[in-house]
Amino acid sequence: MYADYAYLIVALPVLAFLLCLFVGWHLPRGGGFLTVLATFAGLILSLGIFSEIYPDKIIHQSMPWFANFNVGILIDPLALVMLLMVTFVVTLIHIYANGYMNGDPGAARYFAEAALFTASMLGLIFADNLLQLFIFWELVGLCSYLLIGFWYRKPSAAAAAKKAFLTTRVGDVLFLAGIILLYNNLANLNLALKPGEYLLQFPVIYANLAQIAPDQLTLIALGLLGGAVGKSGQFPLHVWLPDAMEGPTTVSAMIHAATMVTAGVYLVARMFPLFYAAPHGLTAVAAVGAFTALFAATMGLTSFDIKRVLAFSTVSQLGFMMAGLGVGAAVGTFAVGVSIFHLIGHSFFKALLFLCAGSVIHAVNTNDMREMGGVGKYMKWTMYTMLIGSLSLAGFPLFTGFFSKDEIIVIAYEYGTLINFLPYIFLVLAAVLTAIYTFRMWFSVFTGKERSDYGKHESPWVMLGPLVILAVFALGFGYVAQEDFYSYLDSNFKHYDLDFVELGVIGGHALEEHVAPAAEGEPVAAKGEHEAAAGEGEAGGEEGPGEPWYIQILPIIVAIGGILTAMLFYWDKVKKFDPSQVTGDKDPIRKLLLKGYYQHEIMTGWFAETVVYGTALICNTIDIKLVDGWLNWLSALVLGFAQHVRKVQTGIVQNYVTALVLGVVVLVVVITLAKEVGLV
Amino acid sequence: MISNVISLLIAIPLLGAVISFYAGTKAKFVALIASLIPLALSLQMYMEFDKTSKIMQFVESYNWVPSLGVKYTVGIDGIGFPLVLLSTIVSVLVIIYSWGETKKPNQYFALLLLNEVGVLGVFTSLDFFLFYIFWEIVLIPMFFLIGSWGGPRKDYAAVKFFIYTHVASLVMLLAIFALYFTYQMPDGSRTFDMLTLLAATADKTIFPTSMLNIIFAGLLLGFLVKMPAFPFHTWLPDAHVEAPTAGSVVLAALLLKMGGYGLFRIILPMLPHVDKAFVTIIAIIAVISIVYGAFMALAQKDIKKLVAYSSVSHMGFVTLGAVAFTWMSVTGAMFQQFSHGIITCVLFMSAGTIQHVVGTRVIADLGGLADRMPKFAVIMMAGFMASLGLPGMSGFVAEFMVLTGSFATLPVYTMIVVFLSIVTTAAYHLWALQKAMFGPILKKYMNVHEPHAYELFSMAMIIVLSLIFGLQPGLITDIMGTAATQVMEPVMTLTQMGVI
Repeated sequence: MYADYAYLIVALPVLAFLLCLFVGWHLPRGGGFLTVLATFAGLILSLGIFSEIYPDKIIHQSMPWFANFNVGILIDPLALVMLLMVTFVVTLIHIYANGYMNGDPGAARYFAEAALFTASMLGLIFADNLLQLFIFWELVGLCSYLLIGFWYRKPSAAAAAKKAFLTTRVGDVLFLAGIILLYNNLANLNLALKPGEYLLQFPVIYANLAQIAPDQLTLIALGLLGGAVGKSGQFPLHVWLPDAMEGPTTVSAMIHAATMVTAGVYLVARMFPLFYAAPHGLTAVAAVGAFTALFAATMGLTSFDIKRVLAFSTVSQLGFMMAGLGVGAAVGTFAVGVSIFHLIGHSFFKALLFLCAGSVIHAVNTNDMREMGGVGKYMKWTMYTMLIGSLSLAGFPLFTGFFSKDEIIVIAYEYGTLINFLPYIFLVLAAVLTAIYTFRMWFSVFTGKERSDYGKHESPWVMLGPLVILAVFALGFGYVAQEDFYSYLDSNFKHYDLDFVELGVIGGHALEEHVAPAAEGEPVAAKGEHEAAAGEGEAGGEEGPGEPWYIQILPIIVAIGGILTAMLFYWDKVKKFDPSQVTGDKDPIRKLLLKGYYQHEIMTGWFAETVVYGTALICNTIDIKLVDGWLNWLSALVLGFAQHVRKVQTGIVQNYVTALVLGVVVLVVVITLAKEVGLV
Repeated sequence: MISNVISLLIAIPLLGAVISFYAGTKAKFVALIASLIPLALSLQMYMEFDKTSKIMQFVESYNWVPSLGVKYTVGIDGIGFPLVLLSTIVSVLVIIYSWGETKKPNQYFALLLLNEVGVLGVFTSLDFFLFYIFWEIVLIPMFFLIGSWGGPRKDYAAVKFFIYTHVASLVMLLAIFALYFTYQMPDGSRTFDMLTLLAATADKTIFPTSMLNIIFAGLLLGFLVKMPAFPFHTWLPDAHVEAPTAGSVVLAALLLKMGGYGLFRIILPMLPHVDKAFVTIIAIIAVISIVYGAFMALAQKDIKKLVAYSSVSHMGFVTLGAVAFTWMSVTGAMFQQFSHGIITCVLFMSAGTIQHVVGTRVIADLGGLADRMPKFAVIMMAGFMASLGLPGMSGFVAEFMVLTGSFATLPVYTMIVVFLSIVTTAAYHLWALQKAMFGPILKKYMNVHEPHAYELFSMAMIIVLSLIFGLQPGLITDIMGTAATQVMEPVMTLTQMGVI
């Protein structure tokens, strides 16, 4: 019953968008309640669908669109958990926004754009084909552009919006190229499609992956990964994400932490079979993810802007998710469950952290942590909910982040025993830094002396309510849901005509003799080429246990150790060291980190402004001097010629008649000749 | 069903042009009515149009100069009809947009109507002689629109526009004559009938490849200049910059489409029979136009010139899709014609509105206008988004189809376009938008106000149209798809021909 109304999940927010856009100005709080209601209805519908299809059904509806394309809805376990998460988290953020944006003259515009964003994100999730996914993907990008630039009178906001759009556009181009490549490869197979089947539908793609040439698969996978890198802020296209904090904090929470940026991870998860089948596809994913996780964490260490710290943290955690998918080369589809679990858990505690940060900023009116300090005295609720979020992010035992991030590190270890230890090492280091920068933030905001004269009041309940609810999830979701979640997501690809053993052979993940015993439905135990390591990695396909105890316990040590370190530096009660003892102001490493590895200088200053704009200027010069120049040269020549020819105009009739006759003669001769030659 | 509907379609704006010339200040009402009737007629035709038929519909044919084989033959199929629809829509909107014109309004509106007559004639003529007459008629109103209502360098621009395109037209005329004089009907007479002559080009005994190559090159030049494609595009920015807004809109939305129409109607049927090198040449021209146009746009300081170069870039997709010669790419290229015709209107109207509200079009001098004109800002931004290929609007569908279709035969060219132009295209649009509309409002623009309602209305209508065709492309791609099948039916694909 609910399944028949699945389209409303997108349609209602679109309606809210139109209403807010056209009549929101006349409604209280810009019509924010419409957006909340529409999203909440989406949550109800998603829950209804969940109750109908859990645990072993999927929904697939489709209708023709134009040419060889269709629009459709595909709700399988992967899409369903995303739908639930997005509707839930975004509903809470919209409620919070009703308080946060209260009094802003552009509130109606905000809620219209927020509703459009919600619709696009949900449409992206339940798209049943790659083209539709891409369309919503771009619309999500548009909303991001609009919302980052929400305070468009601020030049920095307008610039950040443009930067976000253009940087993700680079990724989108690769994504588009991947789609085009995939479409043409599938078209070349001359498949006999049943009625209702279209080339870019996911079930069709899955079923025919094995027939596509491996090198083409790799190219397609790299294209799609490019899209994911752009949208999910992975290196080297992450530069837009910290700048995106120019938007209202609710936007940061909604788009740049909890939902939109997860679209890239979702894409890789959705196309996991393709990445799995593509030689080096998952290796690239793992490399990008693990590197980004560490790289961004280092920048999170030095930033003073509370939102930028969280932004770098988001980039880093998205890196974890990517790496989690990448190490699927070793553990098969199990990796999808692990990675998406972290995605969901992260969206709870990161939304919580951003909203807490928003609550703080709302009260103290600054983003700069150097001007805060001791805020905890005045904002108890915010402080404790943020503590829960921080513990979760740092991976403190029994918090959500512990279960999700820990598992990624564990499977990265398995990947290490089989293939390569680098992702594991990067992720562990990143986990240490995560704990440190998180508590550096928490301690310097809430404890210690008041470092400036800021507003001292707790936020209203419309803002605190969502914080409390999110805190409950950040605390308990991981413990409660982990096992069921893994098994549910593990069933995702069983709904399709897919043979991971065969795909693994194409992708070079498994040798055939080892694969044979792998039972249907078990994650494929990929033994890889490292035969020597096979003994250690015996438990490759199983869930959880099987690793040595020190590997199991390492993430706990890492988390607690990181928190303790931060305590020693930043908590006034137990302070042992001063940060300046470790790094002075002139320290080149610190400067490098503060400058964000000079990416802005390289990407914007050098690449965009020098290379691209320079090319444009060169083209312009060519156009004026050469392409148009020859024309002006010609006209000058003609004018000069005319000066001479003018003398022909004698005014004597006889001359004209002579010319006329001559002309006719010439014409006749030309035509006769042409006929002789056979031209006419 | 109305008989002689196409003749009516052409005659009504012509009559309207004459009446509005003598109607003085009432000219705008005459013009509006004289453009609404063709719009209604074309919508009626849309209802009656058989989307699956591959033959000409609504055909009318009368002898005109029997001794020369000249006939008055008009008719439409899936190639021409979408452009007829486009012409009638754009003509109405441009007349509404120009509602406030006070300088010699009678002549102004008469010229706009005359323009509509010309383009409708081009898109419906099935006789080369008639086709050429309409082709040339179009030059006249545009020449006067630029020359009389234009900017400071209007004389230079008008003359350059006229001579450049006229010379190309003459080359095309020679090629048409070559076709005419070579082909003899079975009864020994000559004909200007377009379809007969084009079908005859397949016959190697009548048109040996060496000769057809020359004819083909002549026709091609005529169309590429009109499109315009690199390196024949330089007349366009000058004409646009000096032309009044309505002139620019008509120029970009309709006149350029004549070139594209020529590609589909005349070039593609001949393509399989000429030297295979032409495919490579045209593909290279298309790719350069797309990429180079985008970079040129990025370098411009005048927002109208930026928009003009974006036309060069976007029309390159038409050329690319046409020459790639797959069903998908040809359909996409036809749709790009239609889509660009719609979207470019709002871009030029935005540039025009900025010019007359603010008094300058130099991007660097603008800033923060969204603060004073929020409605205009929303519409302009929607237009820019449509133009940069945002999904959900028509431009994306067209470009996606062209790229996907072209990849089958021209993979390398396609990828160059994807990688170099798409980001650059987004860059120049967003850069102009950010500089002109966002940021703090400049002091000198504090008194700027929203443009007139009729201007906003015509721009908003275009956004609505772009959304409709972006969300439901089938409304018109069904027609184009049939036309693409029909264009490609008699011949093999490039792959089969061994070109690729």
